[in-house]
Amino acid sequence: MAALSEIRSSRSGPPAVNPPSEPGGSPDDALVRAARRGDRSAFGLLYARYSRMVHGILLARVPFSDVDDLVQDVFLQALPRLNSLREVSRFPGWLASIARNRAADFHRRFKPNEEFDEESASAQTETLTPSANHSSHSSAEAHAVLDAIRSLPDAYREPLIFRLVEGMTGPEIAARTGLTHGSVRVNLYRGMQQLREILGRKTSPPTGGGL
Amino acid sequence: MTTYQTDPEKEKMMQENYLWDASGAPDPEIQRLESLLADFRQADRALVLPAEIPATPRKFPTVLVHMLSLPRLAAATAILLALGVTLFFMRPRLAPETDPAWNVANLQGAPQIGTKAIAANQAPAKLHVGQMIVTNGDSRASLSQSDLGEIRIDPNSRVRLLQTDATRKRIQLDVGTIHAAIWAPPGTFVVDTPSAVAIDLGCAYTLQVAPDGSGTIRTTLGWVGFHLNGRDSFIPAGAMCSTRPELGPGIPYFEDATPAFREAIVQFDSTSADSPSRSAALATLLAEARAHDALSLWHLLSRTTGPERTQVYTRFAALVPPPKGVTRSGVLNLDQSMLDLWWNSLGLGEISTWRFWEQSASPQPSSNSQQMLEKKQSLRKQAP
Repeated sequence: MAALSEIRSSRSGPPAVNPPSEPGGSPDDALVRAARRGDRSAFGLLYARYSRMVHGILLARVPFSDVDDLVQDVFLQALPRLNSLREVSRFPGWLASIARNRAADFHRRFKPNEEFDEESASAQTETLTPSANHSSHSSAEAHAVLDAIRSLPDAYREPLIFRLVEGMTGPEIAARTGLTHGSVRVNLYRGMQQLREILGRKTSPPTGGGL
Repeated sequence: MTTYQTDPEKEKMMQENYLWDASGAPDPEIQRLESLLADFRQADRALVLPAEIPATPRKFPTVLVHMLSLPRLAAATAILLALGVTLFFMRPRLAPETDPAWNVANLQGAPQIGTKAIAANQAPAKLHVGQMIVTNGDSRASLSQSDLGEIRIDPNSRVRLLQTDATRKRIQLDVGTIHAAIWAPPGTFVVDTPSAVAIDLGCAYTLQVAPDGSGTIRTTLGWVGFHLNGRDSFIPAGAMCSTRPELGPGIPYFEDATPAFREAIVQFDSTSADSPSRSAALATLLAEARAHDALSLWHLLSRTTGPERTQVYTRFAALVPPPKGVTRSGVLNLDQSMLDLWWNSLGLGEISTWRFWEQSASPQPSSNSQQMLEKKQSLRKQAP
């Protein structure tokens, strides 16, 4: 890893001008075009704008302790393949596909019985503990809620993780994923409804409700 | 006493709004889930790229390879090259940004331009020079221009557009928080705050201004220059820096430094030069410094005098030996060319970018910002 240099040094020196977007293109399109031409800072900005989305997609599928490293992997896989992207406006969906494939690849390489063994479970808890003000009880509850979201259909779990974990609003989710406002809204509400049902079943006696 | 009954449908709709964009009446269940799950949220982590990016090889149809003999291939290449050069010189030039107004989008709640609310789900509104965006406790907005970048504005913020032309884009952050992702050339985008001017040097960063005028900057990509009254601080990715009215920017430091180092920096910045606690803080931070913390030590050279500066030099040189052309006496006399050479050897950014900017524009706060600062200073003096 000695050959690695951080993106932060990529815009040193005299102004490395990134061209304005072409007429009709969004700012993200301009960034994708610049990144394709080899502008590393433009790629860094795409990372800044899309890493939460990628983080959310991965968190919906793989153990929390592996997500940060996989986010980096996804962007490192995407960078040399940018030229294979035919339409720059499809970058969000394309990047999301790479993230989903990376998660699938992670599970293919991972023995099924390793994922939720004692060691990995404690590793996840440890990763959470230092920054958490929560008690171990609420940490366990957080894992239970995350597991419940992960059990939802694909269409619901990603928007819910974007909204509840990554702190994105509906309009931001739509902008980052390329979905329409209507689709995101419907998926959020239906997903939330199902999540409430699952958590209600888990935590309440038959007469109880809520979380 | 009148009893008001809530309309269940209206309440449900308000809570649905909260799930959609965090506006409307907060839904306690959702708030609790957000709080529970916050620890899973993505932590700020810089992207690390390899020095060399291997390009994905493009598949070339083998049939074409067989069809093209070497001479034919050479001839075809020459023709294509000539065509390419011709097209390059004949290409249409992209029109520069002609609309000086910036796009404002509603991200959450009801942000305002002046007193006019920006509705959700509508085409972006325009912000003109002199106008101000105001967000309240539950609204957020984004400000963008295609040849500049995007600035997200958090709740409880006030941002005014001061200048927008081909060479300079300038806003004023009175209070609140902005997240900037800038792709304009370094030095183009400037933010005035009551206690420093932030100059983008090619980066993404978060800038916070408290109601008392103090500020904090955290850089996630590239680097930022912080300036006030001849005092400069450079904040590269992964680092942060505070600034205070009248005093200007403090010593920047990497957020992964030891807690003792970070505390010592805060202590050093907040005490006067003759305070004994400042000497203690300096001793602690020199002892705790890693090679990576040369960022802070470089800044300390110009913020110390006499024996303190010598101590800083000694520790700095032990961690990062000075490059060729940098001498002890030169550094202790704050020879700018030597300090610049040493900075460049840290690999945190090329300082010529900053020097170029310094020569091309005054980094002093704009008159608006200066008035804001003076007003705060006058209020402070009047306080008992």
